[in-house]
Amino acid sequence: MQRSVLDSLGVEIIGVISPVSICMLLVVLLVSTLSPSASDSAAAAASATTAATLVYDESPSDPPGRRLAGALLNAAAFVALITAATTLLVVLYYYRFTGFLRNYVRFSAFFVLASMGGSILLSLLRAAAFPLDAVSALVLLLNLSAVGVPAVLSPAVPVLLRQAYLVALAVIVAAWFARLPEWTTWTLLIALALYDLAAVLCPRGPLRVLVELASSRDEELPALVYESRPASASVSHAVAALGSVELQPVEPAPPNPTLSNRNVDPDRTIVEIESLEEETSPLVPNEPSSSGSGDARQQDIAAEREREREGERNQDPSSSSSLPGLAFESDAFDTSRGIRLGLGDFVFYSVLVGRAAMYDLMTVYACYLAIISGLGCTLILLSICRHALPALPISITLGVGFYFLTRLLLEPFVVGASTSLVMF
Amino acid sequence: MTVAAGFGYVLISLGPALSLFVSVIAKKPFLILTLLASMLFWLISLIVLSGAWRGFLPLKSASWWPYVILIVTSVGFQEATRLIFWKLYKKLEVILDAFAEEKFRSRLSWTDKMQIALAGGLGHGVAHAVFFCVSLLTPSFGPATFFVDRCSHMPFFLVSAIISLGFMIIHTFSMVIAFNAYAEGRKLDQIIIPIIHILAAVMTLINLAPGGCAIGVPLLYIIGGVVLRHCWQMVWRKLTEQGNRQRNSSDIHVS
Repeated sequence: MQRSVLDSLGVEIIGVISPVSICMLLVVLLVSTLSPSASDSAAAAASATTAATLVYDESPSDPPGRRLAGALLNAAAFVALITAATTLLVVLYYYRFTGFLRNYVRFSAFFVLASMGGSILLSLLRAAAFPLDAVSALVLLLNLSAVGVPAVLSPAVPVLLRQAYLVALAVIVAAWFARLPEWTTWTLLIALALYDLAAVLCPRGPLRVLVELASSRDEELPALVYESRPASASVSHAVAALGSVELQPVEPAPPNPTLSNRNVDPDRTIVEIESLEEETSPLVPNEPSSSGSGDARQQDIAAEREREREGERNQDPSSSSSLPGLAFESDAFDTSRGIRLGLGDFVFYSVLVGRAAMYDLMTVYACYLAIISGLGCTLILLSICRHALPALPISITLGVGFYFLTRLLLEPFVVGASTSLVMF
Repeated sequence: MTVAAGFGYVLISLGPALSLFVSVIAKKPFLILTLLASMLFWLISLIVLSGAWRGFLPLKSASWWPYVILIVTSVGFQEATRLIFWKLYKKLEVILDAFAEEKFRSRLSWTDKMQIALAGGLGHGVAHAVFFCVSLLTPSFGPATFFVDRCSHMPFFLVSAIISLGFMIIHTFSMVIAFNAYAEGRKLDQIIIPIIHILAAVMTLINLAPGGCAIGVPLLYIIGGVVLRHCWQMVWRKLTEQGNRQRNSSDIHVS
């Protein structure tokens, strides 16, 4: 069968949409299976105090005005915390504490997988009444977490394993975030979308400064980046691009909860999120090489560059990683368009869909379609703008909008029609 | 009733769509994007409709004529969105053709166009099935089931799954027919599609009568069969046309 244009167009976009969809699906499954069972146990009934609920601890019995004010305060506190953490990151990177940052990423990956992943594993085992003893579970958990550390950071690990671990990290963090109270979650999402917009596009925004720093140094920052088709292992550094340089700041490390029994009160578990540097990594556009590039593989260009990244570079939106990931794409080399997405984008899309899942499945589908179309729009914008773009704003806005539209407008209409068996 | 029954209902309404997806669409990324885009279109049209009708809900279920108005307006609006979808597709086709010229030295073939139409129709059909049927199936995974008074022969979930399967077939293949009709300018087909859509929607009104679903659902499937047959005839005609054309051109080469 002859090849048609339909075969090749849009491969990279699908390469990004698939992991995002898988992550959202897993979070929806987790949220829907765990939340009913979690509400039974007393430990879960006690609200987890996180950094996001520092100012105001929401409870369903408060009047709407107080809830809204409290949620706004929570969101403001959270965004302030993230800005501080990102600025700290920029400062550390500026003073070349790269080793420290890499080790921090390793530590946080292990910690998230072991502790937060462990508690989710525990809830799942309890919900399924699975006969696994404590020792085996502990050994399994520690082994999985230990494998996760090199898997997310080292280029020598098989691609599928690395992608699976990145998605697992995003699922764990998103499931954790989905436990936040409702109004706080929504205001937090909107506040983060605005923050992302400001941080990436403003000239003094921390993410933009990071990106420019990294590009000026010609370095690749170690970061948790989702790549659909990563470069080969031999090349460890990015090559400066001919034309557009795409930076993808990666999200900073996922929150590191440290359980400390500050309170003597046994009912409350205080989870402190130490460094929640959530940056949504801007999407880095990867330009497709135009027709002439085939021949222009380049020896001449290679001569200019010290290090070359072989293979196709795809941009993946990368997610949370404490260090921004820098990806340089060379116009002449790249024959395919790749996309990198930050892990934080994964996390917050999944948090939105998870919160929608707590209401009804119809809102889940509507929000899923909204987020995917927002992601598509951002990717199209990326191919036009050719510089780092925030991935959160459009998707989150569409997602939140569709959620409320569906909940208020669509549901009475469709449920009323469908239960009368009148369909069109 | 149980998890197995829940999955059964989901597969009844979405099974053929899933097999279509896996066999035709999953291989070509662009078709997946078309599917997602058409699902979004259908969702937006549904949201606009529900926004327009919000003030009038809940309808008094005793009389049937409010439902008729509801259906006629909804189907009319959806056909209008189909037209808008077609116009957007025409613009996209220009870009696609340019891209194909550059890379493959050929334009979009008619099979490509039909596949895009199929993906578009499948998007509409899957969105319909998801929003009207699957999103209500959550209770069916639990221990009990639900019967509607007007159709007490079988559980509500089963009836809605069967109806949404019928509509999925109608949506998918009427989009193929419609795109072909717009491309070739066949007025008859262009008018028949909205008529079939309205007919099918009106058939579901028969479900409002007590015990009516025993008549309404088979009639719906008859309409679905008509759409399938019409689409098959159209595809067969195009195949023979293309076959003749190729034979003629090869004859010219030989002689």
